Amino acid sequence: MLTICDAQVCYGAHTAFSHFSLHAKRGEMISIVGKSGCGKTSLLYAIAGLLSLSQGSITIEGGSTNCSLMFQQDRLLPWKKVVENVMLGLGPESREYAQLLLGLVGLGHRRNSYPSQLSGGERQRVALARSLVRKPGLLLLDEPFASLDEQTRERLQEEIKAYVKTHGITLLVVTHSIKEAVFMGERIIVMTKQGLSYETANPYHEYEDIRSNVGAFSLEKELRFQLGGSR
Amino acid sequence: MRYLRGFLVVLFFWYALALLVSGPIIPYPHVVFAHLLASMIEAKNHLHLLFSFYRILMGTVVALLFAIPSGLAIGRVKRLDRVLSPTLYLLYPLPKIAFLPVFMVLFGIGDLSKIILIAVIIFFPATLTIRDGVKQIPFQYLELAQAYHLTSRQVLTDIIWPSILPRIFSSLRITVGISLSVLFVSETYASTYGLGYTIMNNWVMANYVGMYGGIVLLSLLGLLLYIVIDKVEQLVIPAQAK
Repeated sequence: MLTICDAQVCYGAHTAFSHFSLHAKRGEMISIVGKSGCGKTSLLYAIAGLLSLSQGSITIEGGSTNCSLMFQQDRLLPWKKVVENVMLGLGPESREYAQLLLGLVGLGHRRNSYPSQLSGGERQRVALARSLVRKPGLLLLDEPFASLDEQTRERLQEEIKAYVKTHGITLLVVTHSIKEAVFMGERIIVMTKQGLSYETANPYHEYEDIRSNVGAFSLEKELRFQLGGSR
Repeated sequence: MRYLRGFLVVLFFWYALALLVSGPIIPYPHVVFAHLLASMIEAKNHLHLLFSFYRILMGTVVALLFAIPSGLAIGRVKRLDRVLSPTLYLLYPLPKIAFLPVFMVLFGIGDLSKIILIAVIIFFPATLTIRDGVKQIPFQYLELAQAYHLTSRQVLTDIIWPSILPRIFSSLRITVGISLSVLFVSETYASTYGLGYTIMNNWVMANYVGMYGGIVLLSLLGLLLYIVIDKVEQLVIPAQAK
Protein backbone atom coordinates (compact mmCIF):
# COMPACT_ATOMS: atom_id res chain seq x y z
CA MET A 1 0.00 0.00 0.00
CA LEU A 2 2.71 2.41 1.03
CA THR A 3 6.44 2.16 0.43
CA ILE A 4 8.90 4.73 1.69
CA CYS A 5 12.54 4.31 0.63
CA ASP A 6 15.33 6.20 2.36
CA ALA A 7 13.31 9.40 2.51
CA GLN A 8 14.73 12.74 3.55
CA VAL A 9 13.02 16.12 3.97
CA CYS A 10 14.95 19.37 4.34
CA TYR A 11 13.83 22.92 5.04
CA GLY A 12 16.69 24.88 3.51
CA ALA A 13 19.80 23.88 5.42
CA HIS A 14 17.80 22.24 8.20
CA THR A 15 17.05 18.52 7.89
CA ALA A 16 13.63 17.53 9.27
CA PHE A 17 14.41 13.81 9.06
CA SER A 18 16.50 11.48 6.95
CA HIS A 19 17.05 7.79 6.13
CA PHE A 20 13.45 6.82 6.80
CA SER A 21 12.13 3.67 5.18
CA LEU A 22 8.84 1.91 5.74
CA HIS A 23 6.56 -0.57 4.03
CA ALA A 24 2.91 -0.75 4.99
CA LYS A 25 0.59 -3.54 3.83
CA ARG A 26 -3.05 -2.91 2.95
CA GLY A 27 -5.20 -2.60 6.07
CA GLU A 28 -2.23 -2.34 8.38
CA MET A 29 -2.41 0.03 11.35
CA ILE A 30 0.88 1.65 12.20
CA SER A 31 1.73 4.13 14.93
CA ILE A 32 4.77 6.34 14.70
CA VAL A 33 6.04 7.79 17.97
CA GLY A 34 8.94 10.06 18.62
CA LYS A 35 9.98 13.16 20.49
CA SER A 36 8.75 16.53 19.23
CA GLY A 37 10.94 17.81 16.43
CA CYS A 38 11.93 14.37 15.17
CA GLY A 39 10.15 14.98 11.86
CA LYS A 40 6.92 13.03 12.40
CA THR A 41 4.65 15.71 10.99
CA SER A 42 7.06 16.37 8.11
CA LEU A 43 6.92 12.67 7.28
CA LEU A 44 3.13 12.72 7.05
CA TYR A 45 3.18 15.94 5.02
CA ALA A 46 5.66 14.35 2.62
CA ILE A 47 3.43 11.30 2.20
CA ALA A 48 0.41 13.57 1.59
CA GLY A 49 2.40 15.49 -1.02
CA LEU A 50 2.57 18.76 0.93
CA LEU A 51 6.35 18.58 1.20
CA SER A 52 8.75 17.34 -1.41
CA LEU A 53 11.52 14.91 -0.62
CA SER A 54 15.10 15.98 -0.99
CA GLN A 55 16.10 12.35 -1.25
CA GLY A 56 14.45 8.92 -1.53
CA SER A 57 10.98 8.03 -2.71
CA ILE A 58 7.41 7.51 -1.53
CA THR A 59 5.01 5.29 -3.44
CA ILE A 60 1.32 5.04 -2.62
CA GLU A 61 -0.87 2.41 -4.24
CA GLY A 62 -3.52 4.32 -6.18
CA GLY A 63 -1.50 7.53 -6.18
CA SER A 64 -1.53 10.51 -3.84
CA THR A 65 -5.28 11.05 -4.25
CA ASN A 66 -5.78 7.68 -2.51
CA CYS A 67 -4.47 9.13 0.73
CA SER A 68 -6.16 11.49 3.14
CA LEU A 69 -4.49 13.54 5.87
CA MET A 70 -6.19 14.59 9.08
CA PHE A 71 -4.36 17.60 10.48
CA GLN A 72 -3.40 18.30 14.05
CA GLN A 73 -5.86 21.20 14.14
CA ASP A 74 -9.32 20.67 12.68
CA ARG A 75 -8.88 23.38 10.00
CA LEU A 76 -12.60 23.61 9.36
CA LEU A 77 -13.56 26.51 7.12
CA PRO A 78 -15.63 28.88 9.29
CA TRP A 79 -17.77 30.07 6.36
CA LYS A 80 -18.97 26.60 5.42
CA LYS A 81 -21.63 24.58 7.18
CA VAL A 82 -20.55 21.31 8.75
CA VAL A 83 -21.74 19.14 5.88
CA GLU A 84 -20.14 21.47 3.31
CA ASN A 85 -16.86 21.25 5.21
CA VAL A 86 -17.02 17.47 4.96
CA MET A 87 -17.71 17.74 1.22
CA LEU A 88 -14.78 20.10 0.65
CA GLY A 89 -13.49 19.74 -2.90
CA LEU A 90 -16.14 17.18 -3.85
CA GLY A 91 -19.30 17.54 -5.89
CA PRO A 92 -22.92 17.46 -4.72
CA GLU A 93 -23.02 13.70 -5.32
CA SER A 94 -20.92 13.25 -2.19
CA ARG A 95 -23.55 14.84 0.07
CA GLU A 96 -25.31 11.61 0.92
CA TYR A 97 -22.11 9.86 1.97
CA ALA A 98 -20.98 12.96 3.88
CA GLN A 99 -24.21 12.91 5.87
CA LEU A 100 -23.82 9.20 6.51
CA LEU A 101 -20.31 9.77 7.88
CA LEU A 102 -21.51 12.66 10.03
CA GLY A 103 -24.12 10.31 11.47
CA LEU A 104 -21.38 7.78 12.12
CA VAL A 105 -19.33 10.27 14.15
CA GLY A 106 -22.50 11.28 16.01
CA LEU A 107 -23.02 14.65 14.36
CA GLY A 108 -25.84 13.92 11.92
CA HIS A 109 -28.05 16.48 13.64
CA ARG A 110 -25.39 19.21 13.41
CA ARG A 111 -24.85 19.03 9.67
CA ASN A 112 -26.30 22.51 9.04
CA SER A 113 -24.43 24.18 11.91
CA TYR A 114 -21.34 26.30 11.42
CA PRO A 115 -17.99 25.22 12.93
CA SER A 116 -18.13 28.14 15.39
CA GLN A 117 -21.17 26.51 16.98
CA LEU A 118 -19.35 23.22 17.72
CA SER A 119 -17.13 22.16 20.59
CA GLY A 120 -13.49 21.20 20.05
CA GLY A 121 -14.32 17.48 20.08
CA GLU A 122 -17.17 17.93 17.62
CA ARG A 123 -14.98 19.95 15.28
CA GLN A 124 -12.36 17.21 15.31
CA ARG A 125 -15.06 14.67 14.45
CA VAL A 126 -16.11 16.76 11.48
CA ALA A 127 -12.48 16.87 10.37
CA LEU A 128 -12.40 13.08 10.69
CA ALA A 129 -15.53 12.74 8.54
CA ARG A 130 -13.91 15.08 6.01
CA SER A 131 -10.83 12.87 5.76
CA LEU A 132 -12.96 9.73 5.33
CA VAL A 133 -15.46 11.02 2.79
CA ARG A 134 -13.01 10.54 -0.08
CA LYS A 135 -12.86 6.82 0.77
CA PRO A 136 -9.06 6.85 1.10
CA GLY A 137 -7.01 3.67 0.99
CA LEU A 138 -4.46 5.30 3.25
CA LEU A 139 -5.42 7.48 6.22
CA LEU A 140 -2.80 9.70 7.82
CA LEU A 141 -3.48 11.10 11.28
CA ASP A 142 -1.25 13.83 12.66
CA GLU A 143 -1.72 13.84 16.45
CA PRO A 144 -5.42 14.27 15.82
CA PHE A 145 -6.50 14.13 19.44
CA ALA A 146 -3.83 16.29 21.08
CA SER A 147 -6.26 19.10 21.84
CA LEU A 148 -9.05 16.92 23.22
CA ASP A 149 -9.96 15.81 26.73
CA GLU A 150 -9.24 12.22 27.67
CA GLN A 151 -12.78 10.81 27.42
CA THR A 152 -13.43 12.34 24.01
CA ARG A 153 -10.00 11.24 22.84
CA GLU A 154 -10.57 7.61 23.84
CA ARG A 155 -14.00 7.45 22.22
CA LEU A 156 -12.69 8.91 18.98
CA GLN A 157 -9.75 6.50 18.97
CA GLU A 158 -12.18 3.58 19.33
CA GLU A 159 -14.40 4.89 16.55
CA ILE A 160 -11.58 5.45 14.10
CA LYS A 161 -10.07 2.07 14.84
CA ALA A 162 -13.38 0.30 14.23
CA TYR A 163 -14.05 2.21 11.02
CA VAL A 164 -10.58 1.66 9.61
CA LYS A 165 -10.73 -2.07 10.40
CA THR A 166 -14.11 -2.67 8.75
CA HIS A 167 -13.13 -0.73 5.63
CA GLY A 168 -9.66 -2.21 5.24
CA ILE A 169 -8.00 1.20 5.32
CA THR A 170 -4.27 1.46 5.94
CA LEU A 171 -3.71 3.71 8.93
CA LEU A 172 -0.66 5.75 9.84
CA VAL A 173 -0.92 7.59 13.15
CA VAL A 174 1.73 10.01 14.29
CA THR A 175 1.71 10.82 17.98
CA HIS A 176 3.94 11.65 20.91
CA SER A 177 1.71 9.71 23.30
CA ILE A 178 2.99 6.17 23.72
CA LYS A 179 -0.34 5.12 25.19
CA GLU A 180 -2.17 6.34 22.09
CA ALA A 181 0.38 4.71 19.80
CA VAL A 182 -0.01 1.34 21.51
CA PHE A 183 -3.78 1.58 21.44
CA MET A 184 -4.06 2.60 17.79
CA GLY A 185 -1.26 0.63 16.15
CA GLU A 186 -0.69 -3.02 15.47
CA ARG A 187 2.86 -2.04 14.69
CA ILE A 188 4.78 0.69 16.49
CA ILE A 189 7.66 2.57 15.01
CA VAL A 190 9.90 4.82 17.03
CA MET A 191 11.20 7.61 14.84
CA THR A 192 14.23 9.85 15.28
CA LYS A 193 15.68 12.51 13.03
CA GLN A 194 18.02 9.88 11.60
CA GLY A 195 15.21 7.49 10.70
CA LEU A 196 13.59 4.51 12.30
CA SER A 197 15.19 3.57 15.64
CA TYR A 198 12.97 0.81 16.94
CA GLU A 199 10.08 -1.26 15.69
CA THR A 200 7.74 -3.79 17.22
CA ALA A 201 4.67 -5.69 16.11
CA ASN A 202 3.90 -6.68 19.66
CA PRO A 203 3.26 -3.32 21.35
CA TYR A 204 1.46 -4.54 24.44
CA HIS A 205 4.30 -6.82 25.43
CA GLU A 206 7.08 -4.47 24.59
CA TYR A 207 5.57 -1.35 26.10
CA GLU A 208 8.59 -0.75 28.32
CA ASP A 209 10.98 -1.11 25.37
CA ILE A 210 9.02 1.43 23.34
CA ARG A 211 9.13 3.85 26.24
CA SER A 212 12.85 3.59 26.72
CA ASN A 213 13.42 3.98 22.99
CA VAL A 214 11.38 7.14 22.83
CA GLY A 215 13.41 8.35 25.78
CA ALA A 216 10.56 8.45 28.27
CA PHE A 217 10.80 7.54 31.93
CA SER A 218 10.58 3.86 32.65
CA LEU A 219 6.98 2.92 33.40
CA GLU A 220 7.83 2.09 36.98
CA LYS A 221 9.46 5.44 37.49
CA GLU A 222 6.55 7.31 35.93
CA LEU A 223 3.96 5.49 38.04
CA ARG A 224 5.94 6.29 41.15
CA PHE A 225 6.17 9.88 39.98
CA GLN A 226 2.44 10.11 39.36
CA LEU A 227 1.55 8.54 42.71
CA GLY A 228 3.98 10.83 44.46
CA GLY A 229 2.52 13.82 42.70
CA SER A 230 -1.06 12.98 43.62
CA ARG A 231 -0.34 12.67 47.31
CA MET B 1 -32.71 53.65 17.41
CA ARG B 2 -28.94 54.18 17.29
CA TYR B 3 -29.41 56.26 14.15
CA LEU B 4 -31.92 58.43 16.00
CA ARG B 5 -29.40 59.06 18.78
CA GLY B 6 -26.77 60.11 16.23
CA PHE B 7 -29.32 62.34 14.56
CA LEU B 8 -30.16 64.06 17.87
CA VAL B 9 -26.47 64.76 18.55
CA VAL B 10 -26.07 66.36 15.10
CA LEU B 11 -29.27 68.34 15.64
CA PHE B 12 -28.04 69.63 19.00
CA PHE B 13 -24.80 71.00 17.54
CA TRP B 14 -26.61 72.42 14.55
CA TYR B 15 -29.03 74.38 16.78
CA ALA B 16 -26.15 75.57 18.95
CA LEU B 17 -24.25 76.84 15.90
CA ALA B 18 -27.34 78.47 14.39
CA LEU B 19 -28.00 80.27 17.68
CA LEU B 20 -24.39 81.37 17.88
CA VAL B 21 -24.16 82.68 14.33
CA SER B 22 -27.81 83.76 14.01
CA GLY B 23 -27.58 84.74 10.35
CA PRO B 24 -28.99 83.33 7.10
CA ILE B 25 -25.72 81.44 6.47
CA ILE B 26 -26.67 78.85 9.13
CA PRO B 27 -30.47 78.46 9.17
CA TYR B 28 -32.25 76.58 11.98
CA PRO B 29 -32.72 72.87 11.36
CA HIS B 30 -36.51 73.00 11.58
CA VAL B 31 -36.60 75.66 8.85
CA VAL B 32 -34.48 73.44 6.61
CA PHE B 33 -36.59 70.35 7.30
CA ALA B 34 -39.83 72.27 6.71
CA HIS B 35 -38.44 73.54 3.42
CA LEU B 36 -37.29 70.04 2.51
CA LEU B 37 -40.71 68.55 3.19
CA ALA B 38 -42.47 71.33 1.27
CA SER B 39 -40.10 71.05 -1.68
CA MET B 40 -40.45 67.24 -1.75
CA ILE B 41 -43.75 67.70 -3.50
CA GLU B 42 -42.96 70.19 -6.25
CA ALA B 43 -39.17 70.20 -6.50
CA LYS B 44 -37.34 67.30 -8.08
CA ASN B 45 -35.68 66.14 -4.88
CA HIS B 46 -36.40 62.49 -5.51
CA LEU B 47 -34.88 62.87 -8.97
CA HIS B 48 -31.76 64.53 -7.55
CA LEU B 49 -31.44 61.71 -5.01
CA LEU B 50 -32.04 59.08 -7.64
CA PHE B 51 -29.42 60.46 -10.02
CA SER B 52 -26.84 60.75 -7.24
CA PHE B 53 -27.60 57.23 -6.06
CA TYR B 54 -27.31 55.87 -9.58
CA ARG B 55 -23.90 57.51 -10.14
CA ILE B 56 -22.49 56.23 -6.84
CA LEU B 57 -23.84 52.76 -7.42
CA MET B 58 -22.43 52.54 -10.95
CA GLY B 59 -19.11 54.04 -9.87
CA THR B 60 -18.80 51.48 -7.08
CA VAL B 61 -19.78 48.57 -9.33
CA VAL B 62 -17.28 49.59 -12.01
CA ALA B 63 -14.55 50.09 -9.36
CA LEU B 64 -15.18 46.64 -7.84
CA LEU B 65 -15.25 45.00 -11.27
CA PHE B 66 -11.64 46.10 -11.69
CA ALA B 67 -10.51 46.09 -8.05
CA ILE B 68 -11.51 42.49 -7.23
CA PRO B 69 -9.51 40.76 -10.00
CA SER B 70 -6.58 43.19 -9.56
CA GLY B 71 -6.48 42.73 -5.78
CA LEU B 72 -6.75 38.94 -6.19
CA ALA B 73 -3.97 38.79 -8.77
CA ILE B 74 -1.61 41.10 -6.87
CA GLY B 75 -2.28 39.26 -3.60
CA ARG B 76 -1.68 35.83 -5.14
CA VAL B 77 1.17 36.39 -7.60
CA LYS B 78 4.37 37.61 -5.95
CA ARG B 79 5.87 38.94 -9.16
CA LEU B 80 2.80 41.07 -9.90
CA ASP B 81 2.89 42.30 -6.31
CA ARG B 82 6.48 43.46 -6.72
CA VAL B 83 5.70 45.41 -9.88
CA LEU B 84 2.18 46.68 -9.25
CA SER B 85 2.10 47.50 -5.54
CA PRO B 86 4.63 50.34 -5.87
CA THR B 87 2.69 51.56 -8.91
CA LEU B 88 -0.50 51.62 -6.85
CA TYR B 89 1.24 53.48 -4.02
CA LEU B 90 2.44 56.03 -6.54
CA LEU B 91 -0.95 56.59 -8.14
CA TYR B 92 -3.14 56.32 -5.04
CA PRO B 93 -2.25 59.73 -3.51
CA LEU B 94 -2.68 61.63 -6.79
CA PRO B 95 -5.63 64.03 -6.60
CA LYS B 96 -7.80 62.34 -9.20
CA ILE B 97 -10.22 65.28 -9.19
CA ALA B 98 -7.43 67.36 -10.70
CA PHE B 99 -7.74 65.17 -13.78
CA LEU B 100 -11.41 66.06 -14.14
CA PRO B 101 -10.81 67.95 -17.43
CA VAL B 102 -9.15 64.84 -18.83
CA PHE B 103 -12.11 62.69 -17.84
CA MET B 104 -14.47 65.24 -19.36
CA VAL B 105 -12.59 65.27 -22.66
CA LEU B 106 -12.30 61.46 -22.78
CA PHE B 107 -15.76 60.46 -21.53
CA GLY B 108 -17.91 63.51 -22.25
CA ILE B 109 -19.59 65.79 -19.75
CA GLY B 110 -22.51 63.45 -19.06
CA ASP B 111 -22.95 60.65 -16.54
CA LEU B 112 -20.08 58.55 -17.86
CA SER B 113 -17.31 60.92 -16.81
CA LYS B 114 -18.86 61.28 -13.33
CA ILE B 115 -19.17 57.52 -12.89
CA ILE B 116 -15.64 56.88 -14.08
CA LEU B 117 -14.22 59.57 -11.81
CA ILE B 118 -15.88 57.92 -8.79
CA ALA B 119 -14.75 54.48 -9.98
CA VAL B 120 -11.13 55.55 -10.40
CA ILE B 121 -11.03 57.07 -6.93
CA ILE B 122 -12.59 54.03 -5.23
CA PHE B 123 -10.47 51.57 -7.21
CA PHE B 124 -7.23 52.24 -5.28
CA PRO B 125 -8.33 51.74 -1.67
CA ALA B 126 -10.53 48.79 -2.72
CA THR B 127 -7.68 47.05 -4.58
CA LEU B 128 -5.28 47.50 -1.67
CA THR B 129 -7.79 46.18 0.88
CA ILE B 130 -8.52 43.13 -1.26
CA ARG B 131 -4.81 42.52 -1.88
CA ASP B 132 -4.13 42.56 1.86
CA GLY B 133 -7.10 40.27 2.45
CA VAL B 134 -5.69 37.72 0.02
CA LYS B 135 -2.24 37.92 1.61
CA GLN B 136 -3.66 37.32 5.06
CA ILE B 137 -5.47 34.08 4.24
CA PRO B 138 -4.12 31.56 6.81
CA PHE B 139 -1.64 29.21 5.14
CA GLN B 140 -3.34 26.35 6.99
CA TYR B 141 -6.33 26.71 4.69
CA LEU B 142 -4.14 26.65 1.59
CA GLU B 143 -2.33 23.57 2.92
CA LEU B 144 -5.71 21.96 3.50
CA ALA B 145 -6.67 22.72 -0.09
CA GLN B 146 -3.46 21.10 -1.30
CA ALA B 147 -3.86 18.03 0.90
CA TYR B 148 -7.42 17.50 -0.34
CA HIS B 149 -6.48 18.12 -3.97
CA LEU B 150 -8.73 21.12 -4.58
CA THR B 151 -8.60 22.48 -8.12
CA SER B 152 -7.45 26.09 -8.49
CA ARG B 153 -11.02 27.00 -9.26
CA GLN B 154 -12.19 25.40 -6.00
CA VAL B 155 -9.41 27.17 -4.09
CA LEU B 156 -10.77 30.42 -5.50
CA THR B 157 -14.45 29.76 -4.77
CA ASP B 158 -14.14 27.80 -1.50
CA ILE B 159 -11.21 29.49 0.21
CA ILE B 160 -10.02 32.76 -1.31
CA TRP B 161 -13.37 34.35 -2.18
CA PRO B 162 -15.03 33.69 1.23
CA SER B 163 -11.87 34.95 2.96
CA ILE B 164 -11.85 38.28 1.14
CA LEU B 165 -15.61 38.86 1.12
CA PRO B 166 -15.61 40.61 4.54
CA ARG B 167 -12.73 42.75 3.23
CA ILE B 168 -14.78 43.83 0.26
CA PHE B 169 -17.54 45.00 2.58
CA SER B 170 -15.16 46.94 4.80
CA SER B 171 -13.57 48.53 1.74
CA LEU B 172 -17.07 49.54 0.62
CA ARG B 173 -17.73 51.15 4.00
CA ILE B 174 -14.48 53.08 3.76
CA THR B 175 -15.14 54.26 0.22
CA VAL B 176 -18.75 55.39 0.71
CA GLY B 177 -17.56 58.60 2.37
CA ILE B 178 -14.98 59.23 -0.33
CA SER B 179 -17.40 58.56 -3.14
CA LEU B 180 -20.00 60.94 -1.70
CA SER B 181 -17.54 63.83 -1.60
CA VAL B 182 -16.33 63.03 -5.12
CA LEU B 183 -19.92 62.77 -6.27
CA PHE B 184 -20.54 66.28 -4.97
CA VAL B 185 -17.65 67.71 -6.97
CA SER B 186 -18.56 65.78 -10.10
CA GLU B 187 -22.14 67.01 -9.97
CA THR B 188 -21.17 70.64 -9.84
CA TYR B 189 -20.36 70.73 -13.54
CA ALA B 190 -22.65 70.22 -16.50
CA SER B 191 -25.48 68.76 -14.41
CA THR B 192 -29.16 69.50 -14.12
CA TYR B 193 -29.83 66.66 -11.70
CA GLY B 194 -28.04 65.38 -8.61
CA LEU B 195 -27.56 66.52 -5.05
CA GLY B 196 -24.24 68.23 -5.85
CA TYR B 197 -26.10 70.28 -8.44
CA THR B 198 -28.91 71.24 -6.00
CA ILE B 199 -26.45 72.32 -3.34
CA MET B 200 -24.34 74.41 -5.71
CA ASN B 201 -27.38 75.89 -7.47
CA ASN B 202 -28.91 77.00 -4.18
CA TRP B 203 -25.57 78.34 -3.05
CA VAL B 204 -25.19 80.47 -6.16
CA MET B 205 -28.71 81.80 -5.70
CA ALA B 206 -27.97 82.50 -2.01
CA ASN B 207 -30.83 80.18 -1.03
CA TYR B 208 -29.14 78.82 2.07
CA VAL B 209 -32.17 76.96 3.33
CA GLY B 210 -32.31 75.07 0.03
CA MET B 211 -28.55 74.50 0.14
CA TYR B 212 -28.79 72.90 3.57
CA GLY B 213 -31.72 70.85 2.34
CA GLY B 214 -29.41 69.38 -0.31
CA ILE B 215 -26.71 68.73 2.28
CA VAL B 216 -29.21 66.90 4.50
CA LEU B 217 -30.28 64.76 1.56
CA LEU B 218 -26.64 63.99 0.75
CA SER B 219 -26.02 62.82 4.30
CA LEU B 220 -29.23 60.77 4.22
CA LEU B 221 -27.99 59.14 1.03
CA GLY B 222 -24.74 58.25 2.83
CA LEU B 223 -26.68 56.78 5.75
CA LEU B 224 -28.86 54.80 3.37
CA LEU B 225 -25.77 53.40 1.64
CA TYR B 226 -24.24 52.33 4.98
CA ILE B 227 -27.47 50.59 5.99
CA VAL B 228 -27.67 48.81 2.63
CA ILE B 229 -24.03 47.64 2.92
CA ASP B 230 -24.61 46.36 6.47
CA LYS B 231 -27.80 44.52 5.52
CA VAL B 232 -26.29 42.91 2.43
CA GLU B 233 -23.27 41.82 4.48
CA GLN B 234 -25.50 40.23 7.14
CA LEU B 235 -27.34 38.44 4.37
CA VAL B 236 -24.23 37.17 2.58
CA ILE B 237 -22.13 36.37 5.66
CA PRO B 238 -24.17 35.01 8.57
CA ALA B 239 -22.78 35.94 12.01
CA GLN B 240 -22.03 32.29 12.85
CA ALA B 241 -19.97 31.92 9.66
CA LYS B 242 -17.24 34.30 10.82
